[in-house]
Amino acid sequence: MTRRPDVVVAGGGVAGVMAAITARRHGLAVTLVDDNATPGGQVFREPSAFARTVTPPDHERREGDRLRELLRRSGVRVLSGWGIWSVQPGYRLDLSNDFAVQVLEAGSLVAATGAVERFFPFAGWTDPAVMGLAGASLLMRAGGVLPGRRTLVAGAGPLLFSVAHQVLDAGGEVVAIVDTATRTQWAARAATLALDPARLKTGVAWMARLARAGIPVLGGAVIRQARRGEDDLDVTIGSVRGGAPVRSVRCDAIACGYGLKPSLGLTRMLKARHVFDEAAGYWHPHADPFGRTDVAGLYVTGDGAGVRGAQMARLRGILTGHGLAFDHGRIDAATLAHLARPLLRAMRRLEVVSRAMTSLMNPRPAIMKEAEMHAPDTLMCRCERVSIAAGGQAIRDGAGDMNQFKAWTRCGMGPCQGRMCEDSARQLLARHTARAPTEVGAFTQRLPLRPVPVRALSGNFAYADIVLPQAAPP
Amino acid sequence: MSAVMSRPAVMDVAVLGAGVMGSTAALFLARQGRRVALIDRKAIFREASGVNAGTLTLNMTRAALVPHALKGREMWLEARSWLGRDVGAVATPGLSLAFTEAECALLEERAAARREMGAPISVVGAARALEVEPGLNTTVRAAAYCPLDGFIPAYGVGRGYCLALCEAGVEIMENSAVDGIARAGGHYEIVSAGQVIARARSIVLAGGAWLERMMAWLGLRMRVKCLVNQLVVTERLPPVMGSVVSIANGLLSLKQFVNGTVVMGGGWQGRGHVDTGETSVIPANLVGNVRLASFTIPRLSEARIARIWLGFESETDDAMPAIGPIPGWENAFVIGCVHSGFTSGPYMGRLLAQAMDGQAVDLKAFDPARLLLSLPSAHKGFCS
Repeated sequence: MTRRPDVVVAGGGVAGVMAAITARRHGLAVTLVDDNATPGGQVFREPSAFARTVTPPDHERREGDRLRELLRRSGVRVLSGWGIWSVQPGYRLDLSNDFAVQVLEAGSLVAATGAVERFFPFAGWTDPAVMGLAGASLLMRAGGVLPGRRTLVAGAGPLLFSVAHQVLDAGGEVVAIVDTATRTQWAARAATLALDPARLKTGVAWMARLARAGIPVLGGAVIRQARRGEDDLDVTIGSVRGGAPVRSVRCDAIACGYGLKPSLGLTRMLKARHVFDEAAGYWHPHADPFGRTDVAGLYVTGDGAGVRGAQMARLRGILTGHGLAFDHGRIDAATLAHLARPLLRAMRRLEVVSRAMTSLMNPRPAIMKEAEMHAPDTLMCRCERVSIAAGGQAIRDGAGDMNQFKAWTRCGMGPCQGRMCEDSARQLLARHTARAPTEVGAFTQRLPLRPVPVRALSGNFAYADIVLPQAAPP
Repeated sequence: MSAVMSRPAVMDVAVLGAGVMGSTAALFLARQGRRVALIDRKAIFREASGVNAGTLTLNMTRAALVPHALKGREMWLEARSWLGRDVGAVATPGLSLAFTEAECALLEERAAARREMGAPISVVGAARALEVEPGLNTTVRAAAYCPLDGFIPAYGVGRGYCLALCEAGVEIMENSAVDGIARAGGHYEIVSAGQVIARARSIVLAGGAWLERMMAWLGLRMRVKCLVNQLVVTERLPPVMGSVVSIANGLLSLKQFVNGTVVMGGGWQGRGHVDTGETSVIPANLVGNVRLASFTIPRLSEARIARIWLGFESETDDAMPAIGPIPGWENAFVIGCVHSGFTSGPYMGRLLAQAMDGQAVDLKAFDPARLLLSLPSAHKGFCS
């Protein structure tokens, strides 16, 4: 039994690792829990041995390796391969893997659980050749595997261009980029990139490369339908404003996603205050720059506090580490202010750019309207096979909030626990009842935060070992 | 909101609480031709009636309630005939198991008590139990076998009710948290956030776990015990069982729904309080419940738990329902707070509607007067 740490950091992405290392440097006992085999999170995920042989050692790989090395030498206790399935105030964390469970307790908890991909359905999206944008990126970067020979890249936000670039790097073909944002919307925000020269340079290089390769970029457009052909997909593309299809293309894989949204399991479970970011179109926990939420001892850092990208996540992680040191009495206010000043200055600059990008990731309610009009039989909840039309019918029958909607359709009751369908359900409900997304609510967060194997929970036991409460009266 | 609100029309009946008891009463009252308002602080069927384990069992029902549970079970299975739509009720056999000698004795005792009240339960040996339910742990010693059992996916039932109530002309008022009732002239005024939201000649209090607080509005004290039941559901599985399975001590209720998910219940407690509505899982109780379940049906050890949730189950002091007129108040009625209330709910709700219609129904055993304590009390919760 190791001693109770001062801090548990949940999540081994860049924010979590930096928060853990920084807090440790201030002398705090820190345990970091991460459900992946090795730390790094999504952006800096450790490539497989195969991927290391077939993909170039890019910035993310070098940074990831450096991050892992820093963590190894930091004195932070790392629990890799453990998922958190329960959290209770105080804090008690219940962890599980495929075979066992364990309990971890700490006075402070840092939720560094990052972001998850946001997706909205189109006809044919459940075909095995359709994957998320971030998923495609992981497949290539960490797995060294292309999504397909000819990939259609679709959705919203800067990840579109990053993924297209990665496909080309890996020797694949990009048949087109389908973007819900228009060229005008991009232009309006491109100016902010001047504040972030590194990102500007990358962006310009990507765009030049796409132009050289003659890859069509369709703005203000969405995938209306992907039909499975004999050995490829026949994809119809429409305008976000409706009307006749604008184009059809053939490909053998689709990478589609609408940006990222914060992962809210821990903060929702602990009833932290959440706010709805209208521009980004998602809920995030309310937190100060150090990541302090309104719940004592609970911090949120990195993209979990609002999606801003890896560079901001690093800075936020360091700030949270300093904040923890101050809150645990390891440094005084003056030291904290001194340490925080340059970080806050850098963050202010990046914030403008990041905010511009989050709004480009938000396709707004039009996207569900498009799907409902053109393909009402499309599934909105894949786990429970609930179609958009079935969702609409439940609303007409009287389901007026997210949880009644869930109960009457089973949308969100499956193994993904609503991660995939919550945004679709919210948009559908908001549009049908002519209310703001904030008014229709959110799925109630339930345990386990991720499915737990019965075998891991029950362990080895004999019937006589089962502790039984008092029996019911006859 | 406009500054001048028109006074709501006087309805015949205002039913407070849109769970199974209140909604069924409202439905049958409306079908008698009355103008009914059905009011709930949240949405219809979102508390105990929508989050319970959906059992139609007799093995787990208190012996005294068996005759009523039998009638409730029949109504659920024939929902099409009175609700106008199927609610997914499935009839299966039921087994209550004994794995130890002590449990064998308990099994005999509990089966005899229920048999006496009309449940067709017989105690059978391991071979017969395994014939009924091949998925069982083969170390089972004996089982109380009841051919009449079954289940309903409770979470979807509110939808059927919502449609039926609308067809019957009931005015459903959701998200209307009532905080008091006043007598004005010949009718009652229902007050929410300082506004009169409904007026009615008769009222029916059907607030389940909140009934103690509702009775206090009328200056009456009725103790309501509140359990915080913890329920567990697996991901979809291939068929692992085909009956409703419990164990002799009553601490397990297992069933596999049509969609393949298995619900594990049995009254294992979580934390919660009705005043705040907040609930939380007690992990140790989860482990006990899951162990019992996977011991009983060994293939469950291959499953993953998808979700755990909690709900308030309310009971009167004697676990029998309060159904009937409220002493001292004209045209005021109460219904609810019975053990396994979801099973017998439709029957009991209809019973009250019949009584209010002047039909000759026997409510003596449910008389609310027996439960009233002499002094009105301040609001106090019994869940902790």
